[in-house]
Amino acid sequence: MSEEIHDWGKHKKTYMMVGIALFFFTGLTITLALFPPFDVGAPGPTPGDYVLGLMVATIKASLVALIFMHLNHERGLIYKMLIFTVLFCVALMALTLFAGFDPILEQYETLQTTDGYLMEKK
Amino acid sequence: MEIPYEVTPRRDTGLYNSKLAVWLFLASEVMLFGGLFSGYVFLRLGIQDGVDNPWPWGLNVHKGYVWLGFINTLVLIGSSVAVVFAWVALKERNWRRFQVLMYGVVACAVAFMCIKSVEYHSKLTQHHGIKLLDNSVMEGKIVDGTDKIRFEADKVSFSLQGALPIFLREMAEDEFPELTLEGEDAEIFTSKGEFSKWFYRSRRETASALATERKRYRSELAEGIKNPSPVSVSTSATVTASKPFKVNGNPRTVIAHSDSAMNYRDGSKVEGSLTSDDVVFEIHEVDMQLVMPTKQRDSIIWEVIGDENAKKEFFTKQAKYYETMRAYYAPRGETIPEKMLRGHKLNLHYVHVGGDHGHDDDHSGESHDDKEHHGEEVHTSESKPSASKLEKDTGHHGTITVPRDKIKFMGNHGPRYGNYYAIYFTMTALHGLHVIGGALVLLYFVVFGKKMFLKNPEHLANRVEVGGLFWHFVDLIWIFLFPIMYLL
Amino acid sequence: MSAVTAEKNEQSHDDHHEHYEPFWKKYIFSTDHKTIGIQYGFTSLVFLAFGFFLMMVMRWSIAYPDRAVPLLADWPWFQAWLDDGGKVTGDLYNMFGAMHGTIMVFLGIVPLAFGAFGNYVTPLQIGAPDMAFPRLNMASYWLYLLGGVLMFVSFFLPSGAAKAGWTNYSPLATTTDIHYGNLFWTGQTQWLMGMVLLISSSLLGAVNFICTIINLRCRGMTWMRMPFFVWAMLVTGFLLLLAFPPLEVAALMQLMDRMAGTSFFVPTGLNVSGMSFDAAGGGSPLLYQHLFWFLAHPEVYVLILPALAIVSEVIPCNTRKPLWGYKTMVYAVMVLGFLAFIVWAHHMYITGMGPAISTFFQTTTVLISVPSVILITSLLISMWGGSIRFTVPMLFATAFIPMFGIGGLTGLPLAFSLADLHLHDTYYVIGHFHYVVAPGTIFGLFAGIYHWYPKITGRMMSTRLGHLHFWPSLIFMNGIFAPMFFQGMAGFHRRAFDGGKAYEQISTQVFSEPNSFLSNICEILHVIEPDAPLRMIDLNIITSGSAWLLAVFQVPFIINLFISAFKGRKVESDNPWDATTLEWATPTPPPHGNFASEPVAYRGPYEYSVPGADSDFSPQFESDPSSLAPAEEQTAKDEATAS
Repeated sequence: MSEEIHDWGKHKKTYMMVGIALFFFTGLTITLALFPPFDVGAPGPTPGDYVLGLMVATIKASLVALIFMHLNHERGLIYKMLIFTVLFCVALMALTLFAGFDPILEQYETLQTTDGYLMEKK
Repeated sequence: MEIPYEVTPRRDTGLYNSKLAVWLFLASEVMLFGGLFSGYVFLRLGIQDGVDNPWPWGLNVHKGYVWLGFINTLVLIGSSVAVVFAWVALKERNWRRFQVLMYGVVACAVAFMCIKSVEYHSKLTQHHGIKLLDNSVMEGKIVDGTDKIRFEADKVSFSLQGALPIFLREMAEDEFPELTLEGEDAEIFTSKGEFSKWFYRSRRETASALATERKRYRSELAEGIKNPSPVSVSTSATVTASKPFKVNGNPRTVIAHSDSAMNYRDGSKVEGSLTSDDVVFEIHEVDMQLVMPTKQRDSIIWEVIGDENAKKEFFTKQAKYYETMRAYYAPRGETIPEKMLRGHKLNLHYVHVGGDHGHDDDHSGESHDDKEHHGEEVHTSESKPSASKLEKDTGHHGTITVPRDKIKFMGNHGPRYGNYYAIYFTMTALHGLHVIGGALVLLYFVVFGKKMFLKNPEHLANRVEVGGLFWHFVDLIWIFLFPIMYLL
Repeated sequence: MSAVTAEKNEQSHDDHHEHYEPFWKKYIFSTDHKTIGIQYGFTSLVFLAFGFFLMMVMRWSIAYPDRAVPLLADWPWFQAWLDDGGKVTGDLYNMFGAMHGTIMVFLGIVPLAFGAFGNYVTPLQIGAPDMAFPRLNMASYWLYLLGGVLMFVSFFLPSGAAKAGWTNYSPLATTTDIHYGNLFWTGQTQWLMGMVLLISSSLLGAVNFICTIINLRCRGMTWMRMPFFVWAMLVTGFLLLLAFPPLEVAALMQLMDRMAGTSFFVPTGLNVSGMSFDAAGGGSPLLYQHLFWFLAHPEVYVLILPALAIVSEVIPCNTRKPLWGYKTMVYAVMVLGFLAFIVWAHHMYITGMGPAISTFFQTTTVLISVPSVILITSLLISMWGGSIRFTVPMLFATAFIPMFGIGGLTGLPLAFSLADLHLHDTYYVIGHFHYVVAPGTIFGLFAGIYHWYPKITGRMMSTRLGHLHFWPSLIFMNGIFAPMFFQGMAGFHRRAFDGGKAYEQISTQVFSEPNSFLSNICEILHVIEPDAPLRMIDLNIITSGSAWLLAVFQVPFIINLFISAFKGRKVESDNPWDATTLEWATPTPPPHGNFASEPVAYRGPYEYSVPGADSDFSPQFESDPSSLAPAEEQTAKDEATAS
């Protein structure tokens, strides 16, 4: 920390606010999940619910990363490093999924019909 | 020799060594958990409907334990806040406050792990499932010990190559009978230790006998003998017991069994008589997600349960939920999607064996106390859905006997039970290891940090900042784990 | 020059060694990066020799599938794995094949290249007193050793070592040796345990390296004054740091599959030897492959970059010319590092990927050849017009370029899914990547050993023995791997333990007509009968013979390595090669703490034959009053841009 004189009171206030926000969002997550009025789309877990749940989680995670881990004012070097890490992480997930769900089509159909369930459907 | 930039940041990079290092380490942690999350997404999306086990709904899996996960989230967030304030305390050179906050963090970590172990314990010992041959599934609890194949053995044959025979591990030490070796040198063993000592010795002897034989064979070949007599060394042994002894065959190590013999996966064979191989099961739920709707009524599960009322109950509930669904989709002019028809909402229901529940399901306040249970054992279910969304059920559950030849797969809700459980245990356990590691490091700072605080408080503050960064990261992972494992 | 070093020598004697360190602390549990580097070096050389030995046994089985193994048949451990007639069994071949790959890659080359050279040279070249975290450095060596020991011990378990290939693909790896009572003590499980330890070791090492390079550069050592070796180490460090964790995930998941009965990689309805496999199913074997190759492709660059970096230190020093296109090479290596992460699925074309995704991976794969070619071309041009000294390290460095070139160019057909479908899993692939790592990387590493040996021991290695090592090695390396291309294109499968004998139509194809030049040579060597054609299957014998002879000609190197440390010619100065980088400014051998006085980098790393200079080399550590940008000014400028 290059700044010698620091107003820690201000920081403490921010940290406290973030802490409260995190507790609030945790409550929000579980409320969204448990109570039917907040259920997005059809009853039960649907893509809408996933998006909503993960959005709240992402907000919480960003709060932790930005404020508690000081990423809101960090050195350029660390940003560069993390950008590449996140990029590769996304590449791992996205390309794996892409490769998994871009199969040669006809073969995939026959694979699926080996069990009775989908055979019945046709 | 001193390493530069241990405490003060380097001017051009603006970082001191350990801060740079911890960010690098966290980058690799991002890739580690990134790999696991990729695995989660890939496995979950990769499920072929009607073929693979369906991915269960987090709320269904955890039932009464969702609130434990919720508390754990709060505990971790609380500890994260405490770490930040502990660091600020050090920056303000306040040792006392730092100490209190840091011990608080460690206490949070301990609480987290305790709650986690309660959760693990309930999954590993209280919840089981049995998948029958037609892929219908019963959820409930296997009565202790009945998943084992209970066997009275009096003769065991095994190979003298490889590792110790498996049957040794499946009998208790105090039950060790007097075993007599068949053959010329009839040795007698009275304890496991004696037996294994003999086993290792004769394994060595077998190997050297084999070596001599092979050497003879090779030299005869080299001499030009066309068909030398083949290598023949006996590589197996048989022991007989003076009186029959109990062996509890673990279904994972026994590959086949009959009324008179049990074959282990390592090739050893136990002979004697089968006591029982029936599985006694306390049934809670019936899960038909893998059975086609047209075949659900003829499923062998009803044969196994042997209770018309339970069957009626299941289909009444299914019909009821079907109506609710139609009520949602019909006004929108949509048909119920295929996925919903196969999903757990329609096909996973509580059933009550040994009671009459078919008709009055609508009354949530119904009393079960006056029900007749036909003399069967009755247990109170320990697992209740906490959410109002889930069906309320406060019933009693009867036990049934499941013949082993109808079972395709069975087990507790451990990692083996399905991909959801596998990734749940792997990720939470790995996360738990991180919690333990992080807590130990932070504990070290607060227990042994006083000296450094007096000498160079900035150094300690740096260390706490770095340890704190790791701790926040552990928190951050949990923030994602909680919804994807418990809620969605 | 010599006056300066003499003075430094004296200083070093005063500064260091004043406190006595016990033997175990100085040489065994040492935190000195140089000692750790040497520990890494010796351990990995032992493992390289062991991996080589495994391969020689395999080559016997391939060349003479119906003859008993010579020398080893009476050895008790081997007895158990050979058949009654003393021939290699399929199990033994699989075990040795899997472990040859694992040992060479994870226990041999990576520790030698990254652990040994990286550890010894990097802090010296950037003018640091040690690594940023010396104790972490020691931990990473001991983790590596522990992982290596586990791998080695697994050979002596009842189940033998891992048998499912070095890639350890599931579900084969999940179900191998599954009939043992205690699954933990099977080779397959111990392979995973060993890998988890090795990966942890590499991660710690990578963090340490990157941190050292970023934060511990001496005064004046700006980014663009760092030797190329350090740049390559930085990129290698990032490759290890970010690519290894997914493999750790894969190893943990497979460990769970084996030990806890999960089915991450076990598909529904798997049958093993006619019986339904007792697992919940629903897993994906492809997931394993993705996680594995996400590491294993960057791993290729982890193997090659340090060797390339060593060569680019040796070449300017011995051509007395600056490295051509230093900046271009730096950027090329960064692009290479980036692209390395998004090409992995070209190892998986035959897994049934659709056209869209395989097009993506083909494109990135072809793109990655651009920076590779830039690097090689720069090295080649660096030699153009230089007054080359053909010292032993230079011989190896020169041989590296065409060998690596062959390895790289034969990889191009494999980048295209169409050609790959034919060549996948044949000897062509074996030839391709061995050209990269065997005559490529290993030659680079030999160059490094000969180059830095005088700094490490204070004595030169014997040139005569060096020549006796180099020339036969060059010939026999090619003797091993060149025939594999032809065999591979003919359709020889890499995993056949009888060398393809069972496939008559493929293996008996004629490679060279009777009485042709090649056939005559082979006739003289008793590879074929008189007047018989040289068939594809006869190439096995040439390959195997070359392999054994290659082993014989490593003996001069081993002798050289040990004898020269005591009997070799003493170096006259601290800078025997007249090199320019900072490691040559230290006393010989460098003491704990490295530099006698605080080093300062006054100029770029490769200022050879600067016009107007007194000598044909201007070391980084010698100040030059007429220099355009003095170190302090440059540092100040750098700091301004950084902040």
